[in-house]
Amino acid sequence: MIKDFAKHLFPRAVLQRDLTFSYTFCLGGLAFTCFLLLLASGGLLLFYYQPTPAAAFPSILLLESSVWGGAYLRSLHRLSSHFFLVLIMAHTLRVVLTGAYQRPRELNWVTGCALMMLAVFEGYTGYLLPMDQLALWATQTGMELVSIMPLGERLRAVLVPDGVGEPMSLLRFYVLHILIVPGAILLLSSLHFYRIRKNKGVLPYL
Amino acid sequence: MADTHQSRRNFIGTLISLAAGGWLLGKFLTPKVRRKKTLLTVAKSELPLEGALVYREARVALLRQGEDVYALNLVCTHLGCTVNVTATGLVCPCHGSRFDRHGNVLEGPADRPLERYEVEAGGEGYRVLV
Repeated sequence: MIKDFAKHLFPRAVLQRDLTFSYTFCLGGLAFTCFLLLLASGGLLLFYYQPTPAAAFPSILLLESSVWGGAYLRSLHRLSSHFFLVLIMAHTLRVVLTGAYQRPRELNWVTGCALMMLAVFEGYTGYLLPMDQLALWATQTGMELVSIMPLGERLRAVLVPDGVGEPMSLLRFYVLHILIVPGAILLLSSLHFYRIRKNKGVLPYL
Repeated sequence: MADTHQSRRNFIGTLISLAAGGWLLGKFLTPKVRRKKTLLTVAKSELPLEGALVYREARVALLRQGEDVYALNLVCTHLGCTVNVTATGLVCPCHGSRFDRHGNVLEGPADRPLERYEVEAGGEGYRVLV
């Protein structure tokens, strides 16, 4: 079944010219690969992380000091999150420069923008989880920025019902980071890929 | 159902990668939780109220001030000589560092306080844990 699915990801016939690497630089695919890496490494990190203010930082120290491959997995997760964002930005730039946002691909442009924002939000929620000084103050800054937006106070009250880095807000950031936002990214990127196939893949854009 | 035919080479390859993956995962999921070892056990009655017991071999001193019982590692934080416990404080014979009874530095060249060991009071005695 997996093989059949993979077979149908691509049309039966493509022009060789359209598969030229410099056409797309595979940026979207690389970003998705990063996402898969993030899912795998994050899934393993779940076995050790404890989402309470008192235990979060010690749990990371334990992971780094006495778990085989723990430090490696954590830096893999962090590094691929950086690459994820960079690749998405580069992909956006490529789409703008090749004019791929035009008819008939408007829907994919919109879902792509939504995916980009979700990716940034995913990174932001993940930033608080280690509960070190950097995490705390970066999140504090973000929340101050949110509260000057229109309706920002409402949003802030939902994201951070108590102070930044207190039990309830840490738990909310955790749930957003491991469940809600990745789920949304997965759903939206499925739609994104479906539309690529529907719009005849990487055929000439203009 | 899809074609179930599978070459022997594929099957063995899958088997090996599954076993290797499982082994790595098992290694990741069993953290080395270090159990604290008991360095020495001292009967409660042996430790005077405002006194200290010095174990030069183990390089540890058990000190007591009223209810507060704590253990100091006697390895000097400067270059690792064994410090002497005197009535007023702790003095390093090698380079003259001086520490107070809590292990804080009074005089250099040492720049960090003496390391403390955890002391567990249980039943009959005190146990110094490393």
